[in-house]
Amino acid sequence: MKKHEEEEKVYEEGARSYPEALNGGGSPVDSGSDYEDYSDDGDSEDYGSWEEDAESGEEGATGSGSDQDESEDGNSEEFELSEETQSGESDSQEHKGSVKTNNKGKLSNDHAQIDDGESEISESDRRAEESDSSEDEVPSRNTIGDVPLEWYRDEGHIGYDVKGKKIKKKERQDKLDAFLASADDSKNWRKIHDEYNDEVVELTKDETRLIRRLLKGKAPHSGFDPYPDYVDFFKWDDAKHPLSNAPEPKRRFIPSKWEAKKVAKYVRALREGLIKLDKPKEEPRFYNLWGDDPNSKDRAGHLAYIPAPKPKLPGHEESYNPSLEYIPTQEEINSYQLMYEEDRPKFIPRRYTSLKSVPAYENAVNDSFERCMDLYMSYRAWKKRLNIDPESLKPKLPSRKDLKPYPVTCYLEYRGHEGAVVSISTEASGQWIASGSADGTVRIWEVETGRCRGVWTIGEPVLCVSWNPLSELPILAIAAGQDVLLINTGMGNEEDQEKIKELLQVEISGTADEQPLVSWLQDDRHKHEAIILRHFKTVTSVEWHRKGDYLSTVTPAGESRAILIHQLSKKITQKIPFKLHGLPVSSVFHPSRSIFFVSTKKNIRVYDLLKHKLIKKLETGLREVSSIAIHPQGDNVIVGSREGKLCWFDMDLSSQPYKTLQCHSKDITNVAFHRSYPLFASCSDDCTAYVFHGMVYSDFNQNPLIVPLEILRGHVNSNGRGVLDCKFHPRQPWLFTAGADSVVRLYCH
Amino acid sequence: MPKHYRPPGKKKEGNVAKYVTRSQAVKLLQVNLSTFRRLCILKGVFPREPKKKVKGNHHTYYHLKDIMFVKHDPLLEKFREMRTYDKKLKKAVAKKNKDLYERLRTRKPTYTLDRLILERYPKFADALRDLDDCLSMVHLFAALPALERENIEVKRIHNCRKLSHEWQAYIARTHKLRKVFISVKGIYYQAEVEGQKITWLTPHALQQVLPDDVDYNVMLTFLEFYETLVAFVNFKLYHSISVKYPPILDPQLEALAEELYALSRYLDANTRSSRPSGSNQVESQENEKQHDESDLRLAQLQHQLPHNEPGALMHLVEDAAGEDEEDEDTKECENLFKDMKFFLGREVPRESLLFVIPAFGGIVSWERDGAPFREADQSITHQIVDRPTQGHIFLSREYVQPQWIYDCVNARIILPTEGYLVGRVPPPHLSPFVDNEAEGYVPDYAETIKHLQAAASNEVLPMPGTVKEDLEDPQRLLVEGIIDRAEANEAAEKKRKMATLEKQYHDELKLELEGAQYSSSMINQNMESNAASGEAREKPVPDLQQIADDSANMSKIVMSRKKRRLLEAMEIGKKRKQANVDLLKERKKKSEAGQSSKEK
Repeated sequence: MKKHEEEEKVYEEGARSYPEALNGGGSPVDSGSDYEDYSDDGDSEDYGSWEEDAESGEEGATGSGSDQDESEDGNSEEFELSEETQSGESDSQEHKGSVKTNNKGKLSNDHAQIDDGESEISESDRRAEESDSSEDEVPSRNTIGDVPLEWYRDEGHIGYDVKGKKIKKKERQDKLDAFLASADDSKNWRKIHDEYNDEVVELTKDETRLIRRLLKGKAPHSGFDPYPDYVDFFKWDDAKHPLSNAPEPKRRFIPSKWEAKKVAKYVRALREGLIKLDKPKEEPRFYNLWGDDPNSKDRAGHLAYIPAPKPKLPGHEESYNPSLEYIPTQEEINSYQLMYEEDRPKFIPRRYTSLKSVPAYENAVNDSFERCMDLYMSYRAWKKRLNIDPESLKPKLPSRKDLKPYPVTCYLEYRGHEGAVVSISTEASGQWIASGSADGTVRIWEVETGRCRGVWTIGEPVLCVSWNPLSELPILAIAAGQDVLLINTGMGNEEDQEKIKELLQVEISGTADEQPLVSWLQDDRHKHEAIILRHFKTVTSVEWHRKGDYLSTVTPAGESRAILIHQLSKKITQKIPFKLHGLPVSSVFHPSRSIFFVSTKKNIRVYDLLKHKLIKKLETGLREVSSIAIHPQGDNVIVGSREGKLCWFDMDLSSQPYKTLQCHSKDITNVAFHRSYPLFASCSDDCTAYVFHGMVYSDFNQNPLIVPLEILRGHVNSNGRGVLDCKFHPRQPWLFTAGADSVVRLYCH
Repeated sequence: MPKHYRPPGKKKEGNVAKYVTRSQAVKLLQVNLSTFRRLCILKGVFPREPKKKVKGNHHTYYHLKDIMFVKHDPLLEKFREMRTYDKKLKKAVAKKNKDLYERLRTRKPTYTLDRLILERYPKFADALRDLDDCLSMVHLFAALPALERENIEVKRIHNCRKLSHEWQAYIARTHKLRKVFISVKGIYYQAEVEGQKITWLTPHALQQVLPDDVDYNVMLTFLEFYETLVAFVNFKLYHSISVKYPPILDPQLEALAEELYALSRYLDANTRSSRPSGSNQVESQENEKQHDESDLRLAQLQHQLPHNEPGALMHLVEDAAGEDEEDEDTKECENLFKDMKFFLGREVPRESLLFVIPAFGGIVSWERDGAPFREADQSITHQIVDRPTQGHIFLSREYVQPQWIYDCVNARIILPTEGYLVGRVPPPHLSPFVDNEAEGYVPDYAETIKHLQAAASNEVLPMPGTVKEDLEDPQRLLVEGIIDRAEANEAAEKKRKMATLEKQYHDELKLELEGAQYSSSMINQNMESNAASGEAREKPVPDLQQIADDSANMSKIVMSRKKRRLLEAMEIGKKRKQANVDLLKERKKKSEAGQSSKEK
């Protein structure tokens, strides 16, 4: 500790001497020794000695700069010698007795002692001394003094010499020349450009050695001992007045308690294994983890491991040099900007003409990171990938050729109506069809030729027409507004006409006290006989019983009197004794038994008319039923709906549809069964009519076979309505369709 | 909730009992979220999707068994230990207990992942299967700069570099590389090791950018696991060719950043030294004759000292020992660049080519200290350059662009070098991972390569190929037995095309007939009703298309809803694919038109 203080003191003194030296200016004031000079340069004594070495080395360099021929060995020798002389000189200074020099002297004494063994002072020594002292005689070239060099940056000179002439800067060498010269010169690495003096200095070998030592943080001279034994310059032993006369304290003689505690702590820690003195043994980190046998055990005891899906392999477009067709045009790239961000392609192919020109991929880290996130953040599950041929999904259907005949092409058009043809009906013999239109007329056409045989003007838009199913009673029922007209069409032979005329006579009953359901009236407006059945609300559909005596009418707004059954022979009207749940849409008689079908908007209700009983309720599951048709054998029902769905019910099977076919894109307006062929059809507002093969087998085990056969087009959309009605020819596989474009078409096989 | 923690009244089964949300899981494990993440990554636990998401749709669900699996792992305890250690260290610093701090610092708890690896990949094949991501990540990090801010240490980067080189050296040495593809994203390699196809991506050897919006902690955790896994896999692979792992490299080459070359030399040297003892035993059991032969060769080898030419020597040994154990594919790969000597220019991607060329049996050198031979070597057959002009040209060799190597490798034949000469724009580089037929579009150059391949295979085995190929018309073959196989192929293709054309024609005819029938009926009708005549004539043309559509859609009506939806989805997918192909075709047409107009 003491030693340190001492040194500090010395340092302070050195610092104090600094201003003195400054005051001294050029003339050496105290002793004029070089040594003082050095202490000026350095901050402390120690560094002073460093500096001194460096300086002397530099000096040597400048010296060698003057005579280049001198060998490097000689140089180094000189350097060493200069060091010698330095020490020697300071020796001589010791006599002056200042504390500072004393100390220094001690230090340098040591040097001398060390060096003494190696070399002795020689003649050359003195020469070196001279050169050393002549430091001041070699002034720096630059005379601008201690000002920033940049002030002279734009000047052509660096100060003035004694005579007041400008000291010129050296010409800047051409850079290329400089480079070439430097490349040729093997000693180039040793040359340093001294900016201050504007000259090139070549370092000697010793100087480089010195620099190397300095860089390592060592003392510049190899002989320098940074930690010499402390030599007390003040001897206390026989001094009369020691600084302190106190006896040595006791604590200097007893072992330290705290040390003992510390030791005990360490011992305890060692015993407990908290401190391990021996380093842990290095084990090889990697070994044959899986062993050599290939069939080691499986992962057991926990959930099945789902390996992460492998990243998608790159396609042609990701190539650095893809074919030209993979590169989108500029317009396409611009159009990507209009897309939603999710739809936008993530990767835009680009083409580079050489491998060298491919830049680094800027999203490399992001992509990798995203993959990491996917690996530990997203759900994993086994997904079955369907790898099936789409054709195999389609059911195997019998060939359409085998199911012929069925209507295929439009054979005839019946034109004449001025409004949408709402309803058509075929006569029992198949020779005539009747059509009712929204323009308030009913026309009768000859099927084969398309000739219009007769026109009745009803006055109100016709909603439904229906022929009597008996061929000997060619009576046409027409629903228009609140009336249902039963008109004698005037066909058939004389005998039949007689009969019809008789039938269509109504005696006006006098009993008007009670409100009748329907009033039977005689109509004389027409050429032939006709009866009007006046309802109290609009009638939408008329349906004949197979025997031609009964007919049912539907008035959807009629509530309890919605569905009425009229008897032609007795001129009686009665309402059905059942409660309807929902609005009625249409009603049909069973083709062979006394069963009556009523369709409401959601369901079909089947009643037995004889037993006055509900037999069945068919649940269609449709939103709104529009039409219903019954298979001629009576066990199967098809129902069309306003959502374009067609339901096939097998009455023996269940009350749920056997099959639901989504065929039309718009409302189904009507459905129809063929009376003898296994055909049925549906027509819709999307201007198409579908023809299906619907075979019902007598064998109960075999389900009905439904095959779509043909889509019939031809009608034109008008006012959003397409085909309004379809009916089959009673004997031929022909289909009549009535369109909203006021045309009736006949499709033949 | 695990069984023994289940409070009364909680569900025992179903999704509530089986699945927990992430926050529940974190609570259950009593760790913080970042530790949970680390655990999940290291243990390979991933969320699973419950049938019914009890807590809502925005939660992540883990299977309880997975969480219990994590809970019983010693790693969890280790992480807790590390946390307490950190606390201790912090406390020691805060209390200025330098002594304790020093003592603690040397005793940082560590953990190893080898047990986890064995747990996740009980079989070596499992590990190989999941190696894709590992290799890509390791290769990526090998190219990244170290970044103190993000905890990316130099040490790890170097380790990644080392591991990637070890892997590449093994693949190159055993000739397992199959496909290479240079994409904009980097270079894809595909190797086949023990029947597993392993694909990895190496970035281009350029300065990589480290984006800020990436959580490097997550990536580094992954990397930690991957590094260990790749090292163990490398050990096993090196062990299988009886080379010591980790390899000790020539420090001189290492200093020159030629680790890959150093490694391959190491491998060569080691396999050479270890083969005699190992392989001879096996062989003596199997085949006396072969044994003698290889012994003789080995004796020869020992005469020639290992220093002269390691590559050639190594091949000799390998021929002696390993011929029968290699499959056809490997042999093909091994002999692709046989007897060819390559020299790499300064501007080509050296690391990649140093890996690829030896993997396919070529000898390669480059312009640097420590390279096996100099540029002036007369035996060099190909020089790889990537510059617009080449100054000094040796007439004895061909100067090609690097893409030639990759295209040759993918096509497995030596392609003609015309297109790849210096200064030219090389032909398009196609992905070897695409099945052109399935995609529906075959680029022109793929077609060319196919023809070249056919021609090449014809040279090697003329007869069996042709017989197998053209079973359909053997008579013609008998007559023209000499016919080129490629030509025969073309002929067959032409014939097939003709057949399809013919069929198409017939179909059209049929349709027309139907149409005719239709129109004839129209004519009948026209005679009868004049009014309809105007419309009728226009109809037939669109109707043909309509009829075709109708017949296709007819069966759709009868299908059940589920099947119909499925079919529709399939059709949409098909349409999209077709749209892509159409776009390509259209672009091609356009570019061709542009070219031809330019020529005019």
